[in-house]
Amino acid sequence: MELTALFIVAYFVLLAVALRKRQRKVHGPWLFLLRAFFPNWQFFHGLGPAPRLWVRAQNTHGTWSLWHPVYPRLPRQTSQLLHNPAVNLALSHQNLVEHLATDIHDLADDGDIAQCVSYQLVARLARDAVQGGGWGATPLVKDPSWTDPTRFQFEVRLLHLGRESDEQLLLSPALPL
Amino acid sequence: MSLALELPLAIRAFEILLGWSLLLQTWEYLRLPALDRVGSWAIQRVEVPSPWVRPILDRLFLPKPYAAMLGLRGALALALMLGQAGLGIALLLFALALLLLMRWRGAFNGGSDFMTLVGLTGLLLAHVLGLFTEPASAWHVALWYVTVQSLSSYFVSGWVKLMRPEWRSGRALTVFLDHGVYGPLPENSIYRWPRLAMLCSWCFTLWEGLFPLALLDARLAAVFCAIAAVFHFLVFWFFGLNRFFWAWLSTFPAILYCASV
Repeated sequence: MELTALFIVAYFVLLAVALRKRQRKVHGPWLFLLRAFFPNWQFFHGLGPAPRLWVRAQNTHGTWSLWHPVYPRLPRQTSQLLHNPAVNLALSHQNLVEHLATDIHDLADDGDIAQCVSYQLVARLARDAVQGGGWGATPLVKDPSWTDPTRFQFEVRLLHLGRESDEQLLLSPALPL
Repeated sequence: MSLALELPLAIRAFEILLGWSLLLQTWEYLRLPALDRVGSWAIQRVEVPSPWVRPILDRLFLPKPYAAMLGLRGALALALMLGQAGLGIALLLFALALLLLMRWRGAFNGGSDFMTLVGLTGLLLAHVLGLFTEPASAWHVALWYVTVQSLSSYFVSGWVKLMRPEWRSGRALTVFLDHGVYGPLPENSIYRWPRLAMLCSWCFTLWEGLFPLALLDARLAAVFCAIAAVFHFLVFWFFGLNRFFWAWLSTFPAILYCASV
């Protein structure tokens, strides 16, 4: 029993020491798909820049609308503790935007972000937002300022949490709907 | 009063809670195809590096086989809750979890998928080791595996917060709550009070960081787990993470058992 206790103490001490060291990121396609086997358990750990998706649309006269955020904000119900598909889907979409931001950061100098899966999926999310899609009954864009859109454009901005200022990370070309 | 958890009861509680968590997840997965207009396997498939795995997944993720796969997962989760899971069911549940990870680019719901995999790995470990040794010894190892992973999750989460000035000041708590899926916080929310935010931050940070102490005594473990249940409910309440609540709850019988031996 004492030996077990010793191992446990040693394990958590090593874990604490490892957390203080600068951690090296390991990349790989299988590692990405099977990252659940290597959880880092660091949730909400710091106020870093947070990627946010914005969309705008162009009407038949060629006029662009204002930019609108696509960010999950849904009404709460206690029953969602048991069944919450719309919110979990919305969170997975926001996660997608965060993956795109990571892919932009990691992109090789001669790389094309449009070839990335995350870019293509975020483009679908932006298109759906302009076409009036929703997370369940909640629209992806609240009070959109466009009518009869024919083309759309999306932007990924890095929001500096706590300071509420942002900077542009990516601006897509104008895309047909 | 003794709160020690005997092995048979710990196994049953673990199986029921893990099965329940899987069942709720499966129910949500079944609803998603009707809600999601973004995910597209035709686009995602290029991320699978192996050219011979891709066509297999192409077939499995067609609408009908995918729905059948989820139906099977639901039935297996029910069997687990009823105490009918052997090695075959443990293997199938583990394999289905891997397929779902592939379908959702490595994770659908982040940490809850990771903790679900921990539970399923524990279940598989118990049944595989059970082929070579006494079932009780196999389950002992499996529950320790689940416990160490669960305690690590709290420990790491607590200590990374402790190292961040924005958490020590409480500012991070207000900002994250403000950006939660059910947010923003009302202008007059008590979580905007800097002193209260700091107090809450320190309470949760220390509780998380000290969670391994739960192993010292079953009563202490019960207190840590009870606080954890409240914590996960609050995480659901503010961030909508219902799956986290059930995934972590399913590890508590393992923690209580390990604190009892």
